[in-house]
Amino acid sequence: MIEVENLYKKYGKREALKGISFKIMKAEIYGLLGPNGAGKTTAISIMSTILQPDSGRVIIDGYDLSTNANSIKQTIGVVPQEIALYNELSANDNLMFWGGLYGVPEKDLHQRCNELLKLFGLYERKDDILNSYSGGMKRRINIAAAILHNPKVLFMDEPTVGVDIQSRNLIFEVVKHLNQQGMTIVYTTHYMEEAERLCDRIGIVDDGKIIIEGTLEQLKNSSLVKDVIKLSFLSHDSSIKEKLFEFWKDIQFSEREIAIYSDDVKADLPLIVSKCIDLGIEITNIEIHKANLESIFLTLTGKQLRDK
Amino acid sequence: MLQLIFKDLKLFFRDKRNLMLSFALPIALISLFALAFGGAGKGSGNTKITLLYSDLDQTYASKQAFLIFDSLPNIHLKTMKLTAAQQAVEKGNESALLIVHQGFADSLNNGAQLPLEIQYDEAKKIEVGLLQQALIPSLFTLPFVIGNPKQSMAKRFFKMTPNADSLIQNNIQNQSNKLFDAISEGVKIENEKNGNTLNATNFLSSDIKITKLIKAKKDNQLGLIQAVAGTAIMMLLFSVVGIGAGLLEEKQEGTLKRLLYTPLNPIKILFAKMITTNLISLMQLFIMFIFAWLVFGLDIIAHFPALLISILATSFACSSFGVFLASIAQTRQQVQGLSTLIILVMSALGGSMMPIFFMPELMQKLAVISVNYWSIQSFYDVFWRDFHITDQAYLKKIFILILIGTALNFIAFRLFKRNILRIS
Repeated sequence: MIEVENLYKKYGKREALKGISFKIMKAEIYGLLGPNGAGKTTAISIMSTILQPDSGRVIIDGYDLSTNANSIKQTIGVVPQEIALYNELSANDNLMFWGGLYGVPEKDLHQRCNELLKLFGLYERKDDILNSYSGGMKRRINIAAAILHNPKVLFMDEPTVGVDIQSRNLIFEVVKHLNQQGMTIVYTTHYMEEAERLCDRIGIVDDGKIIIEGTLEQLKNSSLVKDVIKLSFLSHDSSIKEKLFEFWKDIQFSEREIAIYSDDVKADLPLIVSKCIDLGIEITNIEIHKANLESIFLTLTGKQLRDK
Repeated sequence: MLQLIFKDLKLFFRDKRNLMLSFALPIALISLFALAFGGAGKGSGNTKITLLYSDLDQTYASKQAFLIFDSLPNIHLKTMKLTAAQQAVEKGNESALLIVHQGFADSLNNGAQLPLEIQYDEAKKIEVGLLQQALIPSLFTLPFVIGNPKQSMAKRFFKMTPNADSLIQNNIQNQSNKLFDAISEGVKIENEKNGNTLNATNFLSSDIKITKLIKAKKDNQLGLIQAVAGTAIMMLLFSVVGIGAGLLEEKQEGTLKRLLYTPLNPIKILFAKMITTNLISLMQLFIMFIFAWLVFGLDIIAHFPALLISILATSFACSSFGVFLASIAQTRQQVQGLSTLIILVMSALGGSMMPIFFMPELMQKLAVISVNYWSIQSFYDVFWRDFHITDQAYLKKIFILILIGTALNFIAFRLFKRNILRIS
């Protein structure tokens, strides 16, 4: 559905994209994950036709960006990072306005607006001006305004920033629903739990390049990042280290804590607990840290995904 | 704390627009008002009022009179043929015309009323009042300087005694001369006490004939046109800038970017804004003139075709200015700062705040760079000078307004692509 080949973009002397390439299949949710300034928004801006690349090629639904930008505009929908709506207009008026720009006939547009307002749980308040909406409600309308024309591809740039739990869950449900209807979704975020929960495949972007790409499992395997089982003990005994080391080699020790790196937590955890009991080691706490995108990113780049 | 202050100062001084708004423009504004009110230019001479001069007498005396008037510090005399001079006043290019009619020299010698006439545009009656004030002392001295005051006085007495023989006439002449000397001496002593500069010849002078070449139809019409046109255009400029700045607000709030995602041609976004601004301008001007009609009786019905054209041209020029300002700035805040100063300057210069003939000649020349000037003058043409829509002088103003609008739109179009559409 989307083919991006060797995309370069420079702002002055700064290289925002350094030859980025990836492919996204039809009806796939593809996550572009990376810290601020990694190049995600630049890539989305180019794919959504508002920014010219310095070089490289983008093909969406068979249309080449360099020659068929207008056809691409009809094919795609974009949910911008900011709430780009008119606060003085009602939700319905906003949707009618944005849908009208895509040439959706008025009768169909009325119907589509009502459908989406119901889908996002805002039908009852459709005539209220957006200024009276909460941030989460505005975010929902922000998404609805991008899908009025039933695009084949939906770009979602950080769509849940500043959203309450209730709205976030609703947004996730809608994203899943749209995807089940066959919509291809490109989702950028720096919330790794969102990417883990929603995306079929993930591309991690750093410094203008995709440093790794695949399913979450593939990323874990490629990056060699393991789940971690952390054990805390009542008393410090230096012999514990030697006793456990006989069974598990990938272990890190601190004063009253041991971290065991595991490829299979489900299998290893019962074994570890029973071994400790056998050896008379009194465990006071067990924590399981599943390998996630944050740890994968940290392992690969030495940087945090989010600014702390 | 100090670090924060240094950081803010650094940011401030790095922003050239900030510097312009904070320093250059206020200085420009102060200079403008100083010039307008005559305080600028140390040691500079007084402003001269231009007075057209048509000499129909063409005698030695009339030429001498020209030299006297031309030597006055506040008057700049411009010789012109009568018809051309009258047209210049009628078209509003000049304020007044001094005509020296045939028989001037004879009247001077015979002590008759001098055949001098000022024809003027009542739209500029304040300026003409100043002219009269400047001319009066010279008019008083004309018989004294050019003619023979004693002879002139005696001839006035002869007129009262048309049948007197030569002996009586000589007697009258002698008594008249003594009377003139006695009056002169008395006036001199009295004036020395009071510090007046008039002398005895003053009573010989005759009143100058004042003719309105363009008359007011109603007493309040002139002030009304100035008030409606001047204020309407200034306020229109403020409102169109606000609408134009909406583009920047859209950029700041992300809706412009969202518009660019749609299949809409980006240039249409600018055109849409231009059209909206034009429509609102038209509405605003119509409402103001309808208000002036309903409340003050400004006769818009009789002048409707020309008024419509003037409103269309003014709306176009003013709304283009609004969009232009929005295009040169980066943020709405910048537009607000810039526009306040530019509009005030243009309004002061162009005659929105006060009629331009109050201003020095240099300022009147500079007025042509403001939209206000051409708009106000076109409304004067419509309501005051009663110009038909085919009149060249009127069409020239309309053409200039359209030209200004087109030029500003062209620049706005270029800047829009560079400044507004620069998303990243």
